[in-house]
Amino acid sequence: MSGTAERHVVADADEIDNGERIVTQIKGREITVFRYDGDYYAYLNWCAHQGGPCGEGTLTGTSIASYDRETGEVDSYWGREGEILNCPWHGWEYDLTTGDCLSRTGVTLPSYPVEIEDGEIVVTL
Amino acid sequence: MASTAEKTTPFADTTVVDTDVHLSIPFDELAEYCDEPYRSITKYPTYTPVHRGGWNRYMGGKIETEKQNVQTADALYEKICVEFGIDYPLINAFPVLNSVPEDDRAVELMYAYNDYLLDNFLDEYDQFLGLCTVATQEPETAAEEIDRMATEKSIEGLYLLNSGAQPPLGDPVYDVIYQAAEENGLHVAYHASAGAPFAKDFPVQDTQFNRFLENHMLAHPWAHMMTMSSLIVNGTPAKFPDLNFSFLEAGVSWVPYMMFRFNKEYSMRRSEAPLLEKSPEEYIRDQFYISTQPIGEPNDPNHLQQIIDVMGTDSLMLSTDYPHWDFDHPDALDQQVRQFGDEEARERILSGTAIEAFELSI
Repeated sequence: MSGTAERHVVADADEIDNGERIVTQIKGREITVFRYDGDYYAYLNWCAHQGGPCGEGTLTGTSIASYDRETGEVDSYWGREGEILNCPWHGWEYDLTTGDCLSRTGVTLPSYPVEIEDGEIVVTL
Repeated sequence: MASTAEKTTPFADTTVVDTDVHLSIPFDELAEYCDEPYRSITKYPTYTPVHRGGWNRYMGGKIETEKQNVQTADALYEKICVEFGIDYPLINAFPVLNSVPEDDRAVELMYAYNDYLLDNFLDEYDQFLGLCTVATQEPETAAEEIDRMATEKSIEGLYLLNSGAQPPLGDPVYDVIYQAAEENGLHVAYHASAGAPFAKDFPVQDTQFNRFLENHMLAHPWAHMMTMSSLIVNGTPAKFPDLNFSFLEAGVSWVPYMMFRFNKEYSMRRSEAPLLEKSPEEYIRDQFYISTQPIGEPNDPNHLQQIIDVMGTDSLMLSTDYPHWDFDHPDALDQQVRQFGDEEARERILSGTAIEAFELSI
């Protein structure tokens, strides 16, 4: 058992700019805390594929496509700029806002609650 | 020889051989190992001295290249031996010689790659083992180079790029290479490549595909299927019964398909492969070895285990393909083997099979 969840001050809230991140160690786990569009997200820095440092990968957009069965046309565009986390080892894509892997149903990065208290980023783990 | 790296990985008590570790040699450094006019051509190429095609390999930067980790012996040792826990990397220079348009320059680069590998890597660490680069464009010259390199203790086999080798590598024109390999006790490893070498064998497909995913999906298995077909039909393993061959970087799952289809086709058309003295499956099981990367990722891991069981651990050798973008971390295969196999199976895949296939004296 990992014991009781504790609160960990990671940094001052203004230490991370929008679209930036910090990598920190909590209870022996490497965790990446992101700030994006006013929200904070904390994920384990361990790709579900082969354990690559996914939390250190680029934040980009990705290709999104849909097929209209009525017209037979494909609508394809580059979107979600800044919201897609890419593992630097093999390019596995994760949705920064949910931790969900874009290519594997049911695969989600472990996440941890993040709150801002008195101007500090607090991760509960 | 005992492991000298202090390992903290799951491999602490296990010997591990990695059968596919690549270098990434800066061309200006390689140029210094060439005579003129090849030195200047390599140093001042029009675009690049060895064409690889213009495909989007790194997904616009989403995948990071780690090539700097294999550009010095110390960096490679730190990454492969210490961090990954590999005891004995079988290092190849990653020569993409089949996309060098001039045959004489490919031959000069063969010498350069070999000397560079020896000077900068194999002479630096006792546990670094190497594969001799072979330019297949001039088989007689290649055989002489094999004789030269075979005197080096750290050279355990040959590295033949099969993508773009013309004619296919079972053609009798290459028998001098296999003869030299057999006489010198060297293993023959085939390695495929996407991009320009693939385009040489499959120009229509290369130009018609619109995404690198399509190209890369097929480049490695198609090259290996071609080579395996050519070897078996020409009877190469029957001609050279003391020779072992391996197929690097197409994973494992393509092999059962080839074995079983080959048995069927051979029985219908035996007279087209009259040198064979046993079934294709037996040649594949007896003389052909398969490196594991890129290990398949079925949705149900049981299915990968079924493929491994069909092949048997006597044919399978761990490989990472580091530092290329589709490398396998060694733990990925090890976790599979730990989940489904016993310690003996694990020992075979992590080192025992490679020790047998390459006749490693470790």
